Formats: sequence, structure tokens, C-alpha cells
Amino acid sequence: MLTIGKLAALTETSTDTLRYYEREGLIEPADRTESGYRLYDKGSERRIRFIRQAQHCGFTLTEIRDLLVLRNRDAACCGDVRKRAIEKKLQLEHKIKAMKSMSKALDRLIADCANEAQPVEDCTIIAALEQAVGQVH
Amino acid sequence: MKIELFHAPGCSRCAGARESLKAAAETAVTGLEWREINVLDEMDYAVERGVLSLPAVVIDGELVFSSLPTPQQLRAALIRRNDRRR
Repeated sequence: MLTIGKLAALTETSTDTLRYYEREGLIEPADRTESGYRLYDKGSERRIRFIRQAQHCGFTLTEIRDLLVLRNRDAACCGDVRKRAIEKKLQLEHKIKAMKSMSKALDRLIADCANEAQPVEDCTIIAALEQAVGQVH
Repeated sequence: MKIELFHAPGCSRCAGARESLKAAAETAVTGLEWREINVLDEMDYAVERGVLSLPAVVIDGELVFSSLPTPQQLRAALIRRNDRRR
């Protein structure tokens, strides 16, 4: 059995993160010592590595909870997990597209600002943003 | 009218429903163009169409169903669109 400190060191996380995962229902200690300290088994280490890797791929904790349920469900198949991975990729591609569009908008603003020595009240970037705010309202 | 069904490869739910959806669509409108798209082959196009979950149904370029509709739902959506066109 592992203490929370040992498990954190093994999985390169912090004890705060592990307590947070527990509050979020992602992990739970296998046992407690007589004085109430958490004790984890080897399965917890695998579970935490799974959570970390899934976070690295962009899954939210709620989605990871679902993946963990799938992982343990007999009726689930590889296709169920693959579908979620594809959907996550679609979401990431959407974000990338939106961010590229933001980056292009900034490019235009930067290019339009011809004179960086101008006083701030003549700043074309601020003027363009103010105009954009006006359009939103 | 053009219908695009975006699906993940190997999705058994999609495979089972495809034929009945296509049949329902064919009874609802004439001159139907039906396309089944594996998102892994056309990821950029799926993103362009706003597809975030699978399966998804796009009608004439507009994302109408972000999960698998029943044949009745698809038929009703097509008839509504067709009426709006007239």
C-alpha cells in the first residue's frame, strides 16, 4: 500500500492534485490507516497515469470520469473509446480554427498600426477594437 | 437536397441506422443527394461544418442533428426544409 505522498511522487503529481481527483470522484483510497491517512493500491497508480495522459490529450475531468467507467464496463468496446477520441479531436480542431482566426485578426491590427511612436490616443489598434466593441453592441 | 452523415469508422450504431435513415430521407424528398462521410478522412470539412459530436447530420451545409436522429425526426426535418423552400 502507498501513502498519498508516495503515490504523488510515483506519478509525478502533487498530494493536492490527488485530493482534488478524489473530490472529483476519479480516484479513491483503497484503505485508511488507523489514524485516518489515505492508503492506495497499485491500481491507483495506473488510474492516475491514465488520468494524466487523458488530460494531456485534452479530455476534461468529467470526460475522463466517463472514460474510466467505460474502461471498467464489460459491454464497452474499443469503438466507444475511439469515438470519444475522435470527438475530442474534432473539438480541438475547432479550437485551433478559432485561435487561428484570432491570430489573423491580430495580424491585421498589427499591420494597420504603422507608427509605433504615435501617442496612444491615435493608436489604430485601440481604435479598431473600440469600433469592434461598438459593432458588438 | 444534400444530406451528409458524418460518422466515426466502426461505429456500430451508425452502421445499423444508416439504411433506415437513407430510406426515410428518400421518401421525404425527391432529388436527394446522400453522402456518408468518415470524419477521419475529412476532418477539416467536418470542422468547417461545425461537427463536434458523432454521428451528425448536415443538411444543405447546415448542421441539423448533432446526434443520430430517428428516421421520423430526419423525415420531419427534411419535409420542413422542403416546405420553407417553396
